[in-house]
Amino acid sequence: MQQTADQQVHNLIRGAGKAKGESGRAKMDIGNVESKQISEPIISEAQISHLALDIGGSLIKLVYFSTNSDSSSSSSSSKDSVAVSSGYEGRPVLEGKLHFAKFETAKINDCIDFIRSKQLRLSGCQKHGAPAGEKCTIKATGGGAYKYADLFKEKLGICLDKEDEMDCLVAGSNFLLKAVHTEAFTYMDGQKEFVQIDHDDLYPYMLVNIGSGVSMIKVDGPGKFERVSGTNVGGGTFWGLGRLLTKCKSFDELLELSQRGNNRVIDMLVGDIYGGMDYTKIGLSSTTIASSFGKAISDNKELEDYKPEDISRSLLRMISNNIGQISYLNALRFGLKRIFFAGFFIRGHAYTMDTIAVAVHFWSKGEAKAMFLKHEGFLGALGSFMSYEKHGFLNLKVHQLVQQSPVDAYHGGDKIHDPPNRELNENRSIDCSICLS
Amino acid sequence: MASLTEDPVLGINDIKEAEEETDKGTTQVVKTEEVGQSERDMAPVTGNSIHRSGSRPQLDLSKAAIQGNFEERDPTILLPNQSDDLSHLALDIGGSLIKLVYFSRHEDQSIDDKRKKTLKERLGISNGNRRSYPILGGRLHFVKFETHKINECLDFIYSKQLHRGGMDARIWNPDAPTNENSVIKATGGGAYKFADLFKERLGVSLDKEDEMNCLVSGANFLLKAIRHEAFTHMEGHKEFVQIDQNELFPYLLVNIGSGVSMIKVDGDGKFQRISGTNVGGGTYWGLGKLLTKCKSFDELLELSQLGDNSTIDMLVGDIYGGMDYSKIGLSASTIASSFGKAISENKELEDYSPEDISLSLLRMISYNIGQISYLNALRFGLKRIFFGGFFIRGHAYTMDTISFAVQFWSKGDAQAMFLRHEGFLGALGAFMSYEKHGLDDLMVHHLVERFPMGAPYTGGKIHGPPLGDLNEKISWMEKFVRKGTEITAPVPMAPPGTTGLGGFEVPSSKGGTLRSDASALNIGVLHLVPTLEVFPLLADPKMYEPNTIDLSDHGELEYWFTVLSEHLPDLVDKAVASEGGTDDAKRRGDAFARAFSAHLARLMEEPAAYGKLGLANLLELREECLREFQFVDAYRSIKQRENEASLAVFADLLMELDSMTEETRLLTLIEGVLAANIFDWGSRACVDLYHKGTIIEIYRMSRNKMQRPWRVDDFDVFKERMLGSGDKKPRPHKRALLFVDNAGADVILGMLPLARELLRRGTEVVLVANSLPALNDLTAMELPEIVAEAAKHCDILRRAAEAGGLLVDAMVSTLDDCKGNSSSVPLMVVENGCGSPCIDLRQVSSELAAAAKEADLIILEGMGRALHTNFNARFKCDALKLAMVKNQRLAEKLIKGNIYDCVCRYEPLS
Repeated sequence: MQQTADQQVHNLIRGAGKAKGESGRAKMDIGNVESKQISEPIISEAQISHLALDIGGSLIKLVYFSTNSDSSSSSSSSKDSVAVSSGYEGRPVLEGKLHFAKFETAKINDCIDFIRSKQLRLSGCQKHGAPAGEKCTIKATGGGAYKYADLFKEKLGICLDKEDEMDCLVAGSNFLLKAVHTEAFTYMDGQKEFVQIDHDDLYPYMLVNIGSGVSMIKVDGPGKFERVSGTNVGGGTFWGLGRLLTKCKSFDELLELSQRGNNRVIDMLVGDIYGGMDYTKIGLSSTTIASSFGKAISDNKELEDYKPEDISRSLLRMISNNIGQISYLNALRFGLKRIFFAGFFIRGHAYTMDTIAVAVHFWSKGEAKAMFLKHEGFLGALGSFMSYEKHGFLNLKVHQLVQQSPVDAYHGGDKIHDPPNRELNENRSIDCSICLS
Repeated sequence: MASLTEDPVLGINDIKEAEEETDKGTTQVVKTEEVGQSERDMAPVTGNSIHRSGSRPQLDLSKAAIQGNFEERDPTILLPNQSDDLSHLALDIGGSLIKLVYFSRHEDQSIDDKRKKTLKERLGISNGNRRSYPILGGRLHFVKFETHKINECLDFIYSKQLHRGGMDARIWNPDAPTNENSVIKATGGGAYKFADLFKERLGVSLDKEDEMNCLVSGANFLLKAIRHEAFTHMEGHKEFVQIDQNELFPYLLVNIGSGVSMIKVDGDGKFQRISGTNVGGGTYWGLGKLLTKCKSFDELLELSQLGDNSTIDMLVGDIYGGMDYSKIGLSASTIASSFGKAISENKELEDYSPEDISLSLLRMISYNIGQISYLNALRFGLKRIFFGGFFIRGHAYTMDTISFAVQFWSKGDAQAMFLRHEGFLGALGAFMSYEKHGLDDLMVHHLVERFPMGAPYTGGKIHGPPLGDLNEKISWMEKFVRKGTEITAPVPMAPPGTTGLGGFEVPSSKGGTLRSDASALNIGVLHLVPTLEVFPLLADPKMYEPNTIDLSDHGELEYWFTVLSEHLPDLVDKAVASEGGTDDAKRRGDAFARAFSAHLARLMEEPAAYGKLGLANLLELREECLREFQFVDAYRSIKQRENEASLAVFADLLMELDSMTEETRLLTLIEGVLAANIFDWGSRACVDLYHKGTIIEIYRMSRNKMQRPWRVDDFDVFKERMLGSGDKKPRPHKRALLFVDNAGADVILGMLPLARELLRRGTEVVLVANSLPALNDLTAMELPEIVAEAAKHCDILRRAAEAGGLLVDAMVSTLDDCKGNSSSVPLMVVENGCGSPCIDLRQVSSELAAAAKEADLIILEGMGRALHTNFNARFKCDALKLAMVKNQRLAEKLIKGNIYDCVCRYEPLS
């Protein structure tokens, strides 16, 4: 918060929230999820190295490092610059950015094309110091690291070095929470507030990763964690059910729809049962959802008679609320006050965050707080990337002060002004330096 | 019928005012008693009121109340004779379903004559009655309707006149002013929403009761009062759980209606809603309806049976390429993301089968509820989680999924349990919110659950109230017969060994396991008989299990099923003949046979449908079914004939006995009991035998064949207790309870002589007989007449019978004299409170319980009461169990013997 850039972001978000009214969607979070478009200008100027993957059930997440074009050491990522030096001294330092990209798992070929086009694999392979032409290895996590291992081998000639999913999630989360100042934030009633986290007071916390399914992980320290729970009602459920119910073509389209929906059309509210009266005795107001989709029972309506917007809204609330509730109950078991929500389900969507936050607030009676991460979707990929470090290949250092990309996004302003092919992911890139070992 | 002369029926409204009318009520009752008494003197003892059908007799229902200290009593009880059917109705109007609980009181015209009065005085049960609950015997009915078909519900209430206190009220008193201010207790959101509709259509106000309050009091009542209410359901296996009353609290109650409420219950009226979820039954149905176009919840459930959720759910294996993610304990078949597969494929809604969608949805929601419930139970350290509500509706897979989730997340520490009356907690609670509902102090032994024999068993129909009218019932049966449709009894699905996979796992077996009538009530009508008590001489009532044969053994069930089926045609013949063989009787006989067969067939499939099934229940089912079709006493004429034949030789037998020495006589008496026990119409083998000789011939032949040692032979121990050894003369028993079996020779040539011997030795004798007919078993109503006949031939019996007040009707004039100079110990008759060939000693009549207080010897006679049930029962006094085994299988199983082997088991109080 001390940083001017962050202050700016903060203000901007508030402004955006006001301007947009109840939809309350922060502009920063708009992105083109499919990321089919590759912004050529960026790579053309940069050398790209160190790729890591997180291949989930729905999405493939990429983290890669690119050197700054003006960096003096830009050549060090080339083949011949990789010294097999074992000493600390004299190791090359790369200045550059961490980039984040994602693809639908169903369109894995796009991802492969992307990697091929960027020649990402080259530098990744070299880290092993293997002779050129020998098998290359890149770090990967997520179930797909197993499932698609052969495909990567076949199409790109690279081996996927599988990293444990939970390890990666936690490593990614720990890294972000420590290294990036404006990483965690709370969200209530359209108000986003960044939270400064004392590094000494970070643990223990609950990490809820909402991917296709949901994992709930109690994190006690670096590398110290336990998957304590989870639920099968997650992002995949939202998207899957949503697709069946609305014929939306993408997750984001579905999310977009929910912005304009009214869940009261289809949810059975306490007021619907009690004839508009509150059931105050047990603390339920008449607008509390008594039964998600419960109104669909009694109406003589078919699926076609409901607006996709309303369906999407109901679905989103049902799932967000459920995740919030189960997360809180699990946090309670272990006395965890902080719950960080991450994973691609959220994707910075204001209403989603709102619902989760409200659920945690409601069930904990204000005791626990839901927090979100700016790089929510990339924990696994980032953790996978970090595992290079773990294996002693590189050392990552984040340049806190120059982490200005989000501000750039806001300068980019409205969607309209955004180049249509611009990747959201680029907006979230992190300036950093890498020490090659 | 006495009831016709009675005063107008009380509406629900009147009950509220009853308190003010206490004085008036008292005088009315006294008057009624006098009227009733004089009438009964003229009426046949075996008065067969149609209202007795299906319910146990309420022995001291009216008079005990009058004679007691009525200040302690609920005023409503003080007017028990004001109406025969007094109904309370309570509603739970939820978002999806309306649940009704209504009470109908069925009073029997009990033989409440002077004999009974004398008996009561003697047994000391007329005054100082320790019961403080209202004596309101009757039935609780459970019915449900879909909320959007609320008009059907209103019609139902109207047709039964439930809002005015019952149909009979109107019939008997058509001029009774309809009270415009009637109030019905209701809970659920709809109690608010539809209040105006009820006012408009039925002219009644809904008195809104708090929903949580109702749920909790309903659950507490059920868990306390119904023996086999709670059960676990894991991997297709259902097991009833006995819950110690003292360990019931605290527990978590999860009510799954449209939404889900989670309530921590700490005691009666002590509870807190601690959580809930909006993902509940409404979500399943609502989403399911949108996704599959199913027309009903049940259709949707049924679809799920045929589904394979792996086509639509993203499994761990899908993500990990078929590998387990074992590190965190997830197998490849674990659902990673419900509906997650719908993401990645280019399929539209139409490309998925509705079956798969339904199953996927069901697992998603059940699993979620199980998980959240467990997490909440954990917060408060609750080990027991009861799941109720209409989402479950006895659906095996749903229960398995929830159980699995609870087990999975708790690592086996917590247990999911389910309630048989799952959907009716709220309605029952609303019912109990009536100030004078009479259910407060009801205990397990006061309640008898009956198979809902009168209900229309049409498939898939959501409401199955018992058809009140017999004719309607028969026409319905006939209609189905014409259509060639197989009748199905309303037993829930949960077939053996199915869908055992809960929660995460992919079902390995699928198929038509959900019955089409899944929504039919899988619960019986609850008969409230506050006069029933636990037999006080049971050594350990908690451990007592009446059934000797456990029918959960399928082979055993199959055997008895066959026995009952084969016996059926003969029974129908007898039944039809007992009603004069008219066309009407034939129609009813036909309908009875079909209804009974249907029930048998369904019980074969789901033996635990009405709680744990024992042979006693099966045999009682038959009797109940007969009564349902108004065959009051199928063996009436046979019993009469045999009684007459036996009485004719009674005197000769006594002479023969009296010529013997004491020791020989005792042996001959026991032999006689065993020999006479051969007269049993319940035994196929014996029925064949009867065609070959006269009663006395068979009796003598049978007795002569009694070669000691019998298969089980404790006679010498018994003899020593009776006669002593050497010079030591033992103290005679103070009072003996003789549980008699069959009419005719069995009682007259077997048990009566034994009773006479006991009387002669100074032991009071109480003959215990059935309250209602069962096969050719003797009833308590028939017994005094027989004793009176027998007393003509025997002075001992006469004086004892007089002392016991048995001969009051016959010898009114001499009663006072006899009382004065008779020094005889009394011979009494009590009814046992049941109408089955077997007896469950947890539920006996209050007069039997009272009579048992001073008894120190119990003699159980006959297969039903001494072998099928109570063979292993232990008592707080000496017990003699006598029976001839007239069934080869039972003989092999129980005593490793053969048919016609005898059991004389004597178990002295140690």
